[in-house]
Amino acid sequence: MKVDRRHQAQRAEPKLLVRPKPARVANDTDILTIEGLSRRFGAHEVVRSLGLTAGPGERIALCGPNGSGKTTVLRCIAGTVTPDGGRISIDGHPAGSLAARRLVGASFSQERSFYLRLTGHDNLLFFARLRMASKREALRRVHALEEELELAAIVRERVDHCSTGMTQQLAVARALLGEPRLLLLDEPTRSLDEEAVERLWDALDRRRERLALVIATHRPDDVERCESQVDLPV
Amino acid sequence: MTSPSSPSLAEPLWALARRDYSVASSYRFAIGFDLLYGLIDLLVYYFIARTFKDASTAHLGGAPSYFAFVTVGIVITLVISAASATIALRIREEQLTGTLETLAAQPVRSWQIALGMAGWPSAFAMARGAVYLLVAASLLGVDVSQASWAGVVLVLFASGLALLGLGVGLGAAVVVFKRGNNVVGFVTLALGFAGGAFFPLAVLPGWLEFLGKLMPTRFVFDGMRAALFQGSGWGKDTLILLAYSAIGLPLALWAFSRAVEYARRRGSLAEY
Repeated sequence: MKVDRRHQAQRAEPKLLVRPKPARVANDTDILTIEGLSRRFGAHEVVRSLGLTAGPGERIALCGPNGSGKTTVLRCIAGTVTPDGGRISIDGHPAGSLAARRLVGASFSQERSFYLRLTGHDNLLFFARLRMASKREALRRVHALEEELELAAIVRERVDHCSTGMTQQLAVARALLGEPRLLLLDEPTRSLDEEAVERLWDALDRRRERLALVIATHRPDDVERCESQVDLPV
Repeated sequence: MTSPSSPSLAEPLWALARRDYSVASSYRFAIGFDLLYGLIDLLVYYFIARTFKDASTAHLGGAPSYFAFVTVGIVITLVISAASATIALRIREEQLTGTLETLAAQPVRSWQIALGMAGWPSAFAMARGAVYLLVAASLLGVDVSQASWAGVVLVLFASGLALLGLGVGLGAAVVVFKRGNNVVGFVTLALGFAGGAFFPLAVLPGWLEFLGKLMPTRFVFDGMRAALFQGSGWGKDTLILLAYSAIGLPLALWAFSRAVEYARRRGSLAEY
């Protein structure tokens, strides 16, 4: 599938940013609901009483200096870190439950969380097979994503031969594999060139209707593409 | 774009086994060297056995010679290592590369991860074991004319299941304590050494002989030697091994799930 560049022109102007996002009443269509989330590591309270909701099509930018807990929030939503307090629900399922993990695609900041001896394609196929009913279906999805994100040159390489930017593109592709309802991206554009950034946002635009996005980022242009921004204090 | 249909319970197991095979075969010479290493091991014991060829066979569990006795030890030690140590070492590797957290974020159950990681090492160990048995029988004079091959397969299967519980348990320990390599190495060595891989339990000091008799590996070695050299007498060992696995494997899988939960609570899935 060739990427249609007109998506760029059609992208709506970002709305005014809200700092922080005003709490809105949760409703039935929300995919993500966070109430009173807190998490500490040892004596350090990294996240305190965070509330957040996101429905289909909503994009939320998590901002804040290093150590403010952006990645921790994403990990709590993905279910790889259990909150100390509060509640996270993904389409009605507790975060970390099998049903919730089926609905979530996540790309954390560790770009090297791949099997380095395997090609990008084999990595994507492996993770696709964990989410799909058959190898054939997994292959079809992987090929479609490789084409959509223009990854042909990258997926042929073994991951230990890939640059940080190349690996980051693979990580985003992996997060999109299961057609998630909620996408968690941790600084996904940090090492990408401008074309790769546009491809990423185009792919997100194509899924806009059904996908809620929470993105941790320091880049103003990423923030501008989101309706709302949540500033996390240190 | 529609959501994909969910995989069957077995699909992730195949995917994990296939991944491990792909990683293992990406090291071009590693599989060959692994095979060669075992063959050299076999040859070392072949010449030791020739040096002491007049040794008594009274305590060799029906094996016609010390070399026949130790061939079973070498083959089964491979299975022990694959079913126990390899899972723990793979999990450690996943911790170091950061893939453990990524795996934990996928819609896969913890027990599927644990069992899936055992797939390739177990299959490879069985294949290696078969090659060594073939070499020992065809080139090094080990007499397997009395073998019950159905017994060999059943004992191997029961052994794999019984030792898998141990392997998954060690994997759970690595998830919690991280650097468990030394413990894993020690346990594997102890299981072979005290279980009777390389010499009969009767030659061990009393207290060690007692410990050896409690080891599940003792039943693996006894059962395999009985099946291979006598063609009978392996049924009881097989049943004991199946009883070990019926209790040990579910317990170990539960412990592994608890270990992953503990790591989620600690936030240590992504830690080294």
